[in-house]
Amino acid sequence: MRRVSVDIGGTFTDCFLAYDSRYVEAKALTTHHNLAAGFMEALGKACEELGESVQTVLANVDAVRYGTTLGTNSLIQRNGPRVGLLTTAGFESSVPLMRARGYGDGLSDAEQTDLPGADRPVPLVPIPMIVGIRERMDYKGVSALAVDDEDVRSQVRRLVDQGAQAFVVALTNAVVNPAHEIEVERIILSEYPTHVLGAIPIVLSHRVAGRKAEYSRTMSAVLDAYLHDQMYHGMSTLEIVLRQNGYKRPMLLVHNTSGMAQLNSTHALQTIHSGPVAGLEASNYLSAQFKEPNIIATDMGGTSFDIGLVTADGVKFYDFNPVIDRWLVSTPMTYLHTLGAGGGSIARYDRLWDAVEVGPASAGSDPGPACYGRGGKLPTTTDANLVLGYLDEQNYAGGTIKINKRRAERAIDEHICKPAGLSLIDGAKAIKRKVDANMANAIFKEVAVKGYNPKNFVILSYGGGGPIHACGYASRLGINRVLIPPFSSVFSALGAGNMDGLHIHEKSLYLMLYDATRRTMLEDFTVFNETVAELEQRGREDLARQDVKPEQIKIRVELDMRYGNQLAQIGVTSPLSRLASMQDVITLLDRFSVNYAQRFGEGSQAPEAGVRINVIRVVSYVEHERLDLRQSTQRTDEKPKPTSQRQCWFPEISEALMTDVYDYQAVREGMTVAGPALIETPRTTYLVEPGWTLTMGLSGSAWLVKA
Amino acid sequence: MGGDKEKSIIEKFLEENVLFLGPDPEIMEDHSVVPTTPREAEALRTFTDPDQINLVRHKLQTACNESFDMVEQMGAAPGAKWGDLISGVWTANGDLAMASMGGVLIFSVLTQHPVKFILKYWKDDPTVGLKDGDIFMHNDARYGNIHNTDQSLVIPVFHNGELVCFTGAIVHEGENGAIEPGGMPSAAESPFDEGLKMSPIKVGENYEFKRDIMTFLQNSVREPKLQLEGMKSKFFAAMRMKSRVEDAIAEYGVDAVVATLRKTLTDTEAEVRRRLACWPDGKVRTNVFADGTLRENCLIRIRCELHKQHDSLIIDFRGSSPEFLNRPNNTVLASLKGMLAQEFLSFVWPDLPRNQAVFAPMTVLTDRKSALHCSPDAPNAQSMMTFFPGFTAIQIGVPKFLYSSSHRATDVIAGWYNMIVTFLYGGINQYGELVGNVCADLNGMGGAARWNRDGEHSLAPIFAPMADIGEQELIEEEVPLIKIVPHRLMKDGEGFGKFRGGHGYQQIATMKDSSMWGFMCCSIGSKFPTTYGIFGGYGPGSLPLCKVKGVNVFDVMQDSRDLMRYTIPEIMNERPFSGAKYSTHHMGLQLEFAQPGELYMITQGGGGGYGDVLERDPALVAKDFLDGLLSMRSVQEIYHVVLDDKTGAVDVDATEKARDAERQMRKARGKPYHEFVKEWETEKPPRDVPFYGSWKDRALIYRGSPDDTCPADDIRSVMMPNPKDVRIAELEAQLEALRGGADVERANRRS
Repeated sequence: MRRVSVDIGGTFTDCFLAYDSRYVEAKALTTHHNLAAGFMEALGKACEELGESVQTVLANVDAVRYGTTLGTNSLIQRNGPRVGLLTTAGFESSVPLMRARGYGDGLSDAEQTDLPGADRPVPLVPIPMIVGIRERMDYKGVSALAVDDEDVRSQVRRLVDQGAQAFVVALTNAVVNPAHEIEVERIILSEYPTHVLGAIPIVLSHRVAGRKAEYSRTMSAVLDAYLHDQMYHGMSTLEIVLRQNGYKRPMLLVHNTSGMAQLNSTHALQTIHSGPVAGLEASNYLSAQFKEPNIIATDMGGTSFDIGLVTADGVKFYDFNPVIDRWLVSTPMTYLHTLGAGGGSIARYDRLWDAVEVGPASAGSDPGPACYGRGGKLPTTTDANLVLGYLDEQNYAGGTIKINKRRAERAIDEHICKPAGLSLIDGAKAIKRKVDANMANAIFKEVAVKGYNPKNFVILSYGGGGPIHACGYASRLGINRVLIPPFSSVFSALGAGNMDGLHIHEKSLYLMLYDATRRTMLEDFTVFNETVAELEQRGREDLARQDVKPEQIKIRVELDMRYGNQLAQIGVTSPLSRLASMQDVITLLDRFSVNYAQRFGEGSQAPEAGVRINVIRVVSYVEHERLDLRQSTQRTDEKPKPTSQRQCWFPEISEALMTDVYDYQAVREGMTVAGPALIETPRTTYLVEPGWTLTMGLSGSAWLVKA
Repeated sequence: MGGDKEKSIIEKFLEENVLFLGPDPEIMEDHSVVPTTPREAEALRTFTDPDQINLVRHKLQTACNESFDMVEQMGAAPGAKWGDLISGVWTANGDLAMASMGGVLIFSVLTQHPVKFILKYWKDDPTVGLKDGDIFMHNDARYGNIHNTDQSLVIPVFHNGELVCFTGAIVHEGENGAIEPGGMPSAAESPFDEGLKMSPIKVGENYEFKRDIMTFLQNSVREPKLQLEGMKSKFFAAMRMKSRVEDAIAEYGVDAVVATLRKTLTDTEAEVRRRLACWPDGKVRTNVFADGTLRENCLIRIRCELHKQHDSLIIDFRGSSPEFLNRPNNTVLASLKGMLAQEFLSFVWPDLPRNQAVFAPMTVLTDRKSALHCSPDAPNAQSMMTFFPGFTAIQIGVPKFLYSSSHRATDVIAGWYNMIVTFLYGGINQYGELVGNVCADLNGMGGAARWNRDGEHSLAPIFAPMADIGEQELIEEEVPLIKIVPHRLMKDGEGFGKFRGGHGYQQIATMKDSSMWGFMCCSIGSKFPTTYGIFGGYGPGSLPLCKVKGVNVFDVMQDSRDLMRYTIPEIMNERPFSGAKYSTHHMGLQLEFAQPGELYMITQGGGGGYGDVLERDPALVAKDFLDGLLSMRSVQEIYHVVLDDKTGAVDVDATEKARDAERQMRKARGKPYHEFVKEWETEKPPRDVPFYGSWKDRALIYRGSPDDTCPADDIRSVMMPNPKDVRIAELEAQLEALRGGADVERANRRS
């Protein structure tokens, strides 16, 4: 296998290069002005370590896989095109009003609860760029009012006169019957055909999202239109650079659905947050390779802490209505919970509880923690870690970032110790304890709310800040084993290198499996079977467009089911792709019952209220060759030698402990280090807390185990 | 027999011969936190580290949020889906110590009462008792909560035989078998018209619902499916939270949990007192008027005086309207307190924790049998019609204190829009099921103007952050209600000001595919605005219910699509459907059956404005004009801005001249205060407006006429005539007059 995988993050561009049996990792700073520059620099470093030229590598790799934040940046910078929205007359205010609650989407709990201080984000489509057209489709897909040709033409002209550079057409109930959206597209194309210079891209909502709910579907289409040009040009530029360097195959883009596809089969919306999702996908694979069926994947960076789950039952967790930046959209995204907890999280004394609180406010990387000396005056998690002795003032991040312990001490003393009446060390301990508790509570809720017991899981810890805190939050959860994965600092890029080609298509429907009012079961299977067949066909077409052979294509059918009129729609992987008998219906009901009970408790199921399918989702995929993460070096039972010692303080121990410090290269596969100990790598530090032991594992992985 | 002994015998007899355990004023009128018990004091001595307590608190808070998510996900009621609920942990004394971050915060203060009732009456009653595995429910607002549509469920948590706390949830379930569907009957004329009335009742044992009681409850409402799902969701959320409390006990010990719950309450109250101490001492008086009972128009006075002294606040509503014994707009005192707490939790100190201690430093004064402190005989299903204005009364008063306070947790604002302008519905849906509930549109109340910027349009209801107005496609899938216009911003629907309030939206609804379908509405403010601006800002306008009957717009539009208009003013002014009947009403609509394609139209109001309109930045006026939010008339006559109606370009010089001219006009119109008072003030309320409440003297209450009064300390409840009887009497009088005229004419002819 020869494969280049790149994940472009906010600060670093990570590269993972698999070249036959050799795996190489590299990093470069992200170049926001031209992402291709950082991409090529990271790739160049990897090739250099491999001892090959970039041109040779690119000419010989099977695939270049690419995860990017380009879309997110475009949203933040608001540099997309001027989008004109055509919607059903009467619905013009749906987008500006954001379902009322939208003011808080993407914000912290504290910001959401502050109603007087609430501000909606600057709109992507301002009010004058939204027009209503006379038409109406009812919930069954029956036209209650047909499209008026002249009305559409005049509204389109109005938008063009106001400078529209892209059209979004989002009409009510279009997912049940898209005829009106298609008709509007036809009319627009007759005014502005694609072959003329004045052509304007048109996005129809039903092609972007298959679910009912007009606001979130419209926003999905708006984001798609808004990001389309930026993404397309960015990708094209990169592809050109790759071609110039000898790459001949299509570039593959990582999707936030845990799959990937070529540029011609990718919606802009599918690329958002693809990096963290790739990390979770790597966790999924690691779970199989390391035979650890239950994994809580945690990624602690500078400002955020991502939590994802891999479970033995193989349940796929999606967020069907994720918030992208400040916008609620409708797209099935692999579920990750993000907590505002990272090295830059700001600590403060809370007068109300006479206690220390940490986050969600973050100093980020600019100005960053007080110890960075870049203007940050407030104490952060990193400052506490420095004061407690976990970080080396002289060798932080491999010496790339200079830190100043005195500044950290001053910030903690001023903002924590003085108001709380604590000593410097107790103040720093309180910060560490609270950060660990915040992360543990967030993990607990994420795991427990899905019906699992955290104690049955192993924690996977990656990202720059994770390995310092992993023992801390694992202890609070009662979890005794933490795995630091191979290539942990480029883990998301590794995940990108390990994904399948995959497409998801879904459709809303109202299909009663059991009608509680009439006390009848579903007898006519036509709608179910035809819907699955239609979605399968769309997936096959997507993959066929990428030269995948029909016999390679695999299909998974998932159903969102609900009891009565509940909000909860539980995703159920259907063992059947077609229904043929009443027994099949019972099989679905049983499967749903098991999943529901797991999440909400045995006995909480309410089939008496009726059971229905709300969404059918078909996952079409082709499996790609996987990496081998169990490569072994020469195991040794030798004791590693510490490079130095320093005093460290730990929250539950009153006195400082003299702690051995190791260089990571000195701790080889099979070696064991008992806590307290620090293992320093160029990119992070592993903190082995007292009572824990670290053992180096396969491919550079490490196990932390509590006695 | 000695006096004491005799007294004791009488007390014993009375205690043993209680007709029934009705709402207990001792519980219902006390909103203070129960004093620290010896058990709590012991726990606090054992578990002292504030940081450790904070860790336990965070763990329990996570549990509250987790269970909130569960109820929201598992609940079938529209209210549950938009977050009209709360989940929490009560101390062993019944105080709500911790609650979910999301949801309706009014519940924070008024969920304690049913729990305290259980502790006082059922715990030691051999026929009921309180033991591990018990499940209690309640919905009668006279025993706590807001109105009967809210159902609460709590379970006790024991540890080694010791009652540690209660866990549970309260949800606005909607349908409850009242005289009208949907749970909030504006037609109710007595508590017995208000549907299900559960006093705190044991509905299950050994962690299982009793099937007979479940059946009874399902049998009492129109939506048995909803009742079942609602009970299950609350119970399993309470169980999940119980399990988390047990985890916390296992990790930190039972003392830690007891100490944390107590300290959370104590610390919260102390913090509120510290914050109040930052306000200047003094009194602020406000007056707010409700303009109807939902059955008839009248003026209901809400009189309010805020008296801040050191670290406490007295909120004095004495002198407000008397209760209406046959109208549902009366407020139980505890509900009023819940709503007042909302002001502090959401609009003054949104950073405070959600528990009942937030309101402990406040004192509320009311007259018994007033509309804000009604007797158990008065219906209260639409108490929002008096306690929302009560809320506004303090909301427009508090900025006077905050303006010069040394501590502020958020922006100072004008009056938020305060009415639940939405459709309630009932009937047969497209699947043949009998349904009744309320639409989520009430959650889009217009945000108030801030001290430094405009208010946001249709942002949130006054009772909950992050509430959802929903998605029309999902609503249409479940009920045959079609919104021609689900939410469309209303031109001029703001409170004008230097910074304007956010706009509300208009809604145009109709029905399709049902054999029987009815609409209801329950808002006031069609004649007199319900919220106000501050420091010179305007209140929003008053808004009627409009109807177009006798037409099926879908039929008409098949041939004439251009007939449809998408704003209420256009439909009502242009009357595009010939032969249809157009009418306007106040927004108290009792269940009215609709025919397919008939239009029902209402408008959510805007927030109040802040500051003088002449100080508004002309560029902001121009932007609102271009966004279609402001008419040229308002541009010119309210803001006195001169701009180009095509481009929105502001003529700066002309605007300055227009504003100078208006300032001169103001001076010309102005007069000394004493002259104004002399002209304005009357001894009694006017005869032509039915006025309820005190006029000059708060001790004397008017009962709808200048000739009908009662003392405030001995209020006589008001009985309103049936509006249909009133109408019949009017018509009969007209008929009589016509007949009389005819008789005269006949007599004249004869003569």
